Amino acid sequence: MSAPAASSSTQVASRRPTAGRGPTFGRVLASEWTKLTSLRSSYLLGAVAVVVSGALTYLSANASSVDPGFDPLGSLTSGLVLAPLGLMILGVLVGTGEFSTGTFRSTFTAVPRRLPVLAAQVVATAGFALVTALVAVGAAVLGIVPAASSRGLAVDLTGDGTPLVLAGMTLYLVGMALFGLAVGALLRHSARAVVTAIAVTLVLPIVLMLATDLSTDPMAPVESGPPPAAAVVNTIVTLLPSGAGSLLTTPDIGAVEGAPDLGPWGGGAVLGAWILVPLAGAAVRLRTRDAT
Amino acid sequence: MIEVASLTKRYGTTTAVDGLTFTARSGTVTGFLGPNGAGKSTTMRVVVGLERPTSGTATVDGRHYADLAAPLHAVGVMLDARSVHPGRTAFRHLLAQAQTHGISRNRVHEVIGMTGLESVAGRRAGTFSLGMGQRLGIAGALLGDPGTLILDEPVNGLDPDGVLWVRRLVRELADEGRTVLLSSHLMHELALCADRVVIIGKGRLLADASVQEIIDGSAGAASLEDAYLQLTADSVQYRGRSAEDSATLPSTGSTR
Repeated sequence: MSAPAASSSTQVASRRPTAGRGPTFGRVLASEWTKLTSLRSSYLLGAVAVVVSGALTYLSANASSVDPGFDPLGSLTSGLVLAPLGLMILGVLVGTGEFSTGTFRSTFTAVPRRLPVLAAQVVATAGFALVTALVAVGAAVLGIVPAASSRGLAVDLTGDGTPLVLAGMTLYLVGMALFGLAVGALLRHSARAVVTAIAVTLVLPIVLMLATDLSTDPMAPVESGPPPAAAVVNTIVTLLPSGAGSLLTTPDIGAVEGAPDLGPWGGGAVLGAWILVPLAGAAVRLRTRDAT
Repeated sequence: MIEVASLTKRYGTTTAVDGLTFTARSGTVTGFLGPNGAGKSTTMRVVVGLERPTSGTATVDGRHYADLAAPLHAVGVMLDARSVHPGRTAFRHLLAQAQTHGISRNRVHEVIGMTGLESVAGRRAGTFSLGMGQRLGIAGALLGDPGTLILDEPVNGLDPDGVLWVRRLVRELADEGRTVLLSSHLMHELALCADRVVIIGKGRLLADASVQEIIDGSAGAASLEDAYLQLTADSVQYRGRSAEDSATLPSTGSTR
């Protein structure tokens, strides 16, 4: 020890006051930010989100550029089919990382109240995801430029609700990172949490859609509206995190057949619930259960 | 000072700690002994607030761990060398811990120096050997310059040089007036560095006395190891003079 020797315990105990030297939210946030930014996986998954966003948008815009009425801005959101997954898994790993590695022992002995850690993880993940999302949205914009210029069209991001679409895309990406965090913090096991999050956001909608497609008669008359099964499935898919979140990016489009018309705000609220409910569960678990 | 009073911890029907009472005093190294599964780690986890006691209390300097204003400055904890994300470098792991208390980077570098980790501080903890992991855990415990240290098997996996270093370190820390509670299975090591020894078996106190008292009190025992084996084999109740105020100890049956 470099500290000078003291002859009694009282000298050690009173050597420095402890008031003001304990954890504050700002300090815990700095700590969580250090943790998040000191893992390769964070950058890797962020890069995946950016690359997928740019590449899918580029491919989709190129494919539609042969259409006579091609609108490059219509392809802007096509990367969002898969790009959010990178950020979602990043969130999952933030949420499970403490528990799957035993880091919680050092973390919770430093911050025994525990809840500030979860809150700081939310803020740090949102911050990291926001920066990544802005770059990913930038990549999507770049992705439509080649197709647009091949048709001699200019890309104008300022008009016709486009700023709202760009903001919605950003929010959706950040929201999915927080959804991943909430699921990870609740389930604590990386594999389990990743599988659950992917099942809810990606697999379930596809399976449900396929199932109704297979079960409905394509020759049935359409005047009576969508068949009840399809309406139920469309409602469920709309209420899943990916369905609700993507409403953030489609301010002008009405509801899918049979599904409630939530609009961007409603969609955002549903995605918010998908974040807050598991987070609340994780918070309760943190406070009431032993950390072992 | 660590005070454990009538501490009981049950998991379902399993009783890990059963009415345990002992005190680790400041200025002393208290060795914490017991067979595997005796409840040492559980007791330590309860003391640092990771687990809640089923009944009884555990306090540090008279306070429950969760009520400490600045835990890292009050208690340095090393419970398990695997308390680190394998993908994070040693430096960033310690920095993240330090930041929760606004502890400076200089102090992080200082504890890295004290634990001899300078050359590997930039390496990811997942690449560390057990001994290096132990040093990293001890570095984390020292970050806040705490008055109390709780170290669960700190010499586990250390090379002879490291064992000697830990022995000197805990002696120095205690001589500075700090409380050191240290668990180990290495009897010779504890006999060399501990002032007092608390021995538990099946969650119950078997002995709480100085090393010499324990050896003297066990018939025919020539070393702490002999005495320990006798105590834990037959659950002989042994209480040193200063443990007379401890709770009455029922027999616990054979532990080996």
